[in-house]
Amino acid sequence: MQNSTTLWQQWQFNAKRTPNKEAIVHWKAGEGPFRWTFRNLIETAKKFSVKLKKVGIRKGDVCAIIIRHNPNFYPLYLGISRTAALPAVLAYPNPRLHPDKFRQGLEGMSQRSGLDYILTERDLEPIIRPLIEKPGSTIKAVYFPLEWDIEKEFDEKIDAEIESEQKKIKPEEPVLLQHSSGTTGLQKPVVLSHKAVLQHVENLGSALKVSESDKVATWLPLYHDMGLIGAYHIPLAYGIPSIQIDPFEWVLAPIILLEAITKEKATMTFLPNFAYNILAEKIHDDELANISLESLRILVNASEPIRHDSHAKFIAKYKNYGLNPTALTGMYGMAEMTLAVIQTEPGKPIKEVVVDRNELSRGIVKLADNNSVKRVCVSSGKLIPGCDICIVDENRKSLPFGFVGEVAVKSVSMFDGYRNYPEKTAEVVENGWYFSGDYGFEYEGEYFIIGRKKDIIIVAGKNIYPEDIEDAVNQVNGVIPGRVIAFGEEDESLGTEQVSVVAETKAETEEEKKQVRLDVLKAGMAIDINIHKVYLVPPRWLIKSSAGKPSRKANKERLIENKDPQVWSR
Amino acid sequence: MISPELKKVILKELNLDDFDIKDETTAPEVPGWDSLNHINIILAVEEFYKVKFKSYEVLRLKNVGDLQKLVDSKTGK
Repeated sequence: MQNSTTLWQQWQFNAKRTPNKEAIVHWKAGEGPFRWTFRNLIETAKKFSVKLKKVGIRKGDVCAIIIRHNPNFYPLYLGISRTAALPAVLAYPNPRLHPDKFRQGLEGMSQRSGLDYILTERDLEPIIRPLIEKPGSTIKAVYFPLEWDIEKEFDEKIDAEIESEQKKIKPEEPVLLQHSSGTTGLQKPVVLSHKAVLQHVENLGSALKVSESDKVATWLPLYHDMGLIGAYHIPLAYGIPSIQIDPFEWVLAPIILLEAITKEKATMTFLPNFAYNILAEKIHDDELANISLESLRILVNASEPIRHDSHAKFIAKYKNYGLNPTALTGMYGMAEMTLAVIQTEPGKPIKEVVVDRNELSRGIVKLADNNSVKRVCVSSGKLIPGCDICIVDENRKSLPFGFVGEVAVKSVSMFDGYRNYPEKTAEVVENGWYFSGDYGFEYEGEYFIIGRKKDIIIVAGKNIYPEDIEDAVNQVNGVIPGRVIAFGEEDESLGTEQVSVVAETKAETEEEKKQVRLDVLKAGMAIDINIHKVYLVPPRWLIKSSAGKPSRKANKERLIENKDPQVWSR
Repeated sequence: MISPELKKVILKELNLDDFDIKDETTAPEVPGWDSLNHINIILAVEEFYKVKFKSYEVLRLKNVGDLQKLVDSKTGK
C-alpha cells in the first residue's frame, strides 16, 4: 500500500497503477459475473459523486445505503466517499420483517446515528417516505440511485470541484459509519476515520500476509464489519479483486461460494463459524465433482465463537477437494476496533488447548488431566500490529496469566466513541481501553475467547440482544408480561447458537400452550428473529435476580439441567 | 396443490402442529422457516422422497408450490 491519506487516494492509486486489474467480481448465481476493473470502478464512482453533489449531498452527511445485491452498489459507495459524505450500509429488510417494525427501526437508527440521506430502491419508498415527512426527522431525502442516468448527469465542472475538495480531506476526518451489534434501531453507530481504516487494512492485511496475487471470495453482507472491512475495504485498498456473492443466494445454495473459489481461483475467504458446518454437512458430495479449493491460502473464522468440531468437520470433508488444513485461521475483534484485534498465523495449525471445564467455569485455566471434564478451546490468535489486549477482573484490573477475565482491547484504529451516544461510550471505554464484555484468557502468547459477560446471543454471526426478543414476546396474548426470558442455546449441528424463549403463562391445556407457542414464534418473526425453542412455565416459576427481574443465566441453567415436569417445551 | 405428505414433512421439520400452507406460501410467512432452517427443510424433503435436488434448483424455488413441482418432477409424478 502507498502512503495515502484518504481511502479515495488509495483507490485512485490502485486505479492508476493497475487500471485493468479486476477490482470487484459481482457474482450472481446462474449468470455470468459482472466485472469491475479498478479504472472502471473509479470512473463510475466519479460519475455517481457528481450526481450525489447535484442532489445536495455534502461533506459529513451520513448516507444510508439500503440496496440489494447490485453491481452499482460498489461505485455508489465509493462515490459517496469521494464527496466526503459517510456511507453507512444497512441491511435490506427481510420479507418476514413487518414494515412498521422496519420503519420504527430505521427511525430509531436515524435519531441515534443521525442519518441524513437514504439511498435505496423504489420498493421501499412507501415505507421510508413517511419518515422524512415526520416532524423532527434527521432524514433530509430519499433517493433511488439505481435509477439515475449518471452518464447524462455528468458535469466536468462539478467533478473538478469534488476532486479539489477531496484533496483537502484530512486523515483524521470521518470516512464511514458502521454499526456494532444489535437490532436495527438499537445498534450502536461507530464512525471511523480515513486514518483508522487505512491503518487497519494495512495492519490486518499484514497479519493475513495479503499480497498482490490474492483474491477474496465472500458472501458476507456489507453491513457486517467482517464483510465491509475484511472482504471489501482490504481488497479495495490493497488493489486485489474481491468476488462478492449475494448473501441471500449463498444461504440457499452454499455451494456458490465453493464454485466462485474454484472458478476464480480465490485465495482468501472470511466465514463465521456456522458456515463451516453448513459447507461440511449440507452439500451433497455429488455436487462437488468440479470443486477445487487448492487455491485457498487462508480462511478466516470470526464473528462468533470458533468451534473445534466445525473446523474438524470442514477439514474432513474438503481435504479431498484440495483444501490445505493449515489455511484455516481464527480472528477476533469488533466494529469498535474497525474489525480485528487478534488473528492466528496463516499457514500454521490453529493452537488448541484442552482444559479442565470445571476449573474454567471458576475462572482458572488448568490443563485437563485424566480426571477432568475436558473442554477444547480454540485460539483466536496473537495481536495484530497496532493493537493491544489485556485480560481483566470485574474491577477492570489486569489479571495474571492462568486466569479467565474480561477481554479489554485497544487499537490505533479504535473508534472515537459511539456517535450521539456518550453514555454508552462511557460504559465501555475507560483510559483508552475498550471493555469488550467477552471472556477469555491468554495461553502461550495466544488468546482464547470462551464466553460472554453480556447476554448477547450470536446466531450465525449475527448479534441479537435478548431484550429485543423479550420486549416482543411480552406483548403475546397468554404470556404474563415481564415474565419472559430469551437466551442462546448451543446448536451443535449448525455450529452456532439458536434463540430460546421461556415465558410464564396461565395456559393449562395442550391446545392453549400450542397456541401460545405459535404466537411467540410469530412475535419473533415480526422482528425478523427466529425463535427456535419455546419453554412455557407456570406463573412465578422464573428465578429472579437481585434486581427483581427474571435472571437469564439462572433460569437457563435451571431449564437445561433440570427436568422439571412443570416445564412444557417444543 | 401441496400434497399432505409434503406439508407433513415441512411441519415436522419446523416443529409445528398445523399451519395453513398453500402453493403460494413463501418461507417468511411460516413460523420458524428462516434461511438457516431452509436447508434443513430441503434435506428433510430429500430424505422423505429419496430424491436429491441440485443447489440451483433450490435457488429457483419461490414458494411451496415450486417445491411441490420440483418434488413431482423428481418422483416422476
